[in-house]
Amino acid sequence: MSDENGDAIVAEGLTKRYGAITAVDHVNFRVPSGSVFGLLGPNGAGKTTIIKVLTGLSDMTEGTARVAGYDVRKEPMHVKERIGWVAAEVILDDDLSGWENLWLQAKLQRLSGWTVRAEQLLEYFELSDRRKDKVGKYSTGMRKKMEIALALLHQPAIIFMDEPTIGLDPNVRRMLWKLITGVNREFGVTVLLTSHYIEEADSLCDRVAIIDHGKFVATGTPSELKSRVRADFIELETKGDVSEERLRAVPGVSEVRSQGKAWILKVSSAEDVLPGLFAALKGDVIRRINVEKPSLESVFIDITGKRMDQAGGGDVQDFRKFYMQVRRARQ
Amino acid sequence: MSGETKVAALPSVHAVRHGPAWVPQGSQFSGLYLREIIKTFRNPFVIVITIAQPFMWLAFFGSSFGNVGNSAFFDQTVLHAPVGTTFIQFLLPGVLSTSMLSIGMFGSMSTIQDKRFGFMKRVLITPTSKATVYLTKTLGSATRGLVQIPVMLVAAWAFGVPFLGGVLDWLGFILGLTLLGVGFSAFFLAMTASSTDWQTPGVISNFITMPLMFASGALFPASNYPRWMQLIANYNPVGYASLLGRQVVVYGSFDWTYLGYLAVFAAAMLILGTAVASRYLKVE
Repeated sequence: MSDENGDAIVAEGLTKRYGAITAVDHVNFRVPSGSVFGLLGPNGAGKTTIIKVLTGLSDMTEGTARVAGYDVRKEPMHVKERIGWVAAEVILDDDLSGWENLWLQAKLQRLSGWTVRAEQLLEYFELSDRRKDKVGKYSTGMRKKMEIALALLHQPAIIFMDEPTIGLDPNVRRMLWKLITGVNREFGVTVLLTSHYIEEADSLCDRVAIIDHGKFVATGTPSELKSRVRADFIELETKGDVSEERLRAVPGVSEVRSQGKAWILKVSSAEDVLPGLFAALKGDVIRRINVEKPSLESVFIDITGKRMDQAGGGDVQDFRKFYMQVRRARQ
Repeated sequence: MSGETKVAALPSVHAVRHGPAWVPQGSQFSGLYLREIIKTFRNPFVIVITIAQPFMWLAFFGSSFGNVGNSAFFDQTVLHAPVGTTFIQFLLPGVLSTSMLSIGMFGSMSTIQDKRFGFMKRVLITPTSKATVYLTKTLGSATRGLVQIPVMLVAAWAFGVPFLGGVLDWLGFILGLTLLGVGFSAFFLAMTASSTDWQTPGVISNFITMPLMFASGALFPASNYPRWMQLIANYNPVGYASLLGRQVVVYGSFDWTYLGYLAVFAAAMLILGTAVASRYLKVE
């Protein structure tokens, strides 16, 4: 399901304001059919808002978007029949069994002859023997798989995944990466996912858009983006004050940025620069030093001048998601 | 190892989509309505509380005049009812009507729960309209409220209430109560369509229950009221249902006018509420 150019999603000038706050600011992008597209950015950058607007949960303030060949604003019901959604916080009806959750999804999508497909999805996600149990009693990993099964039941053209692996332990996360890749390859489903995990975007996505403060700051394949930064970054924190001039004077350092008490140095090659840096800082106590080789993180640092986990800051929404994960995990 | 999940090829089975729905939103409607019913009956606590409250009204308040010496005088001057009418008999329709006032509260609370746990997003990301969500919650609440009627009737029988009137009269009264319940559920859910605060439904319930219960003729005849309270009672749907029921329970007759008023009330609330919810129902 795509438009004449083979794009599953086309967004032009997409803007969403909440009062005085602009959450998404004139964003343009295309997602080719059958690809995995990642929105990478810190908490509060506007990733979830983009999903809300594209799925019709929230009305856009400006711009246009076509999803699965239909205008999100004018034909929202056509869009909704063709998309699946996996929430960051895993949303299921805990009072209903796995099978009842699938049944409700089938009703809401007006499906007929869905039971065979539901059985197969349960089989595929290894949930068949727990189908009659309330999903409130499932483990976190099972809940996530159940949610993906729901998202796939009506054979959507596109699946939106909001922070698919947030709060999951590494084992479940790896399993989920395999599933996402599998779903994309086996079912030919276009996937749009958001993440603030660098390695997740890097390994899963065909294309990545790096987003900060509601704007796309870079778009490309992960390797394209990484090759843009032909430099390493050194993060440095010393006990005493170090002047910028002294750092600039170190051979191989091309840029110096201050980040609170720490410095971020852009260097040609960290291995060649470190000896000179240590020599220049003789007498100062180095508290912390960190080398960032080319990665999507270094792309973010290069463009915004800060690490992804330092950007954004206190995100209430994200805290609530985390809290809900904890609450469920305790049950 | 949970990390070693196979990514086996899934045979592609086509989940056939219905063509144009016979009734627009029909499938979504039946799914969400059944969800309400299933969830209600999985939580017997709610049902027990729903039934216990009117039962206690009947038992405690209904017995308040059990020791009045001259009951003929009481019937004539206080109840304005035929001699021999017991207070529980007089009270039964009023208590049943009053109990319909707050049944919308449970629907409101479950709607707020759906918003806070994100389930509303799961529903509205499918081709389901906000009006459908609203109507299924309204009818789910009303259904929950109706569960108490048969239990109350058995309780009334146990308290010795004589069952005057024919079966059709009683069914008419139950229909009236249904309309009252639908109307107030519709009102309640529309009032809380944009709310995400757990406390709101309780506050609204407290706010409307007291005046509408006392200024209705549900507990005592409105003819004893001062003028200003009679004015409220004249436009109070709880009063229509109480009077409709009292005709059946005390006199064994039926008044279609009250049923008509209740139908108008339910229809008006549903239409207004659907319009409000389509626009203001919050997603989260």
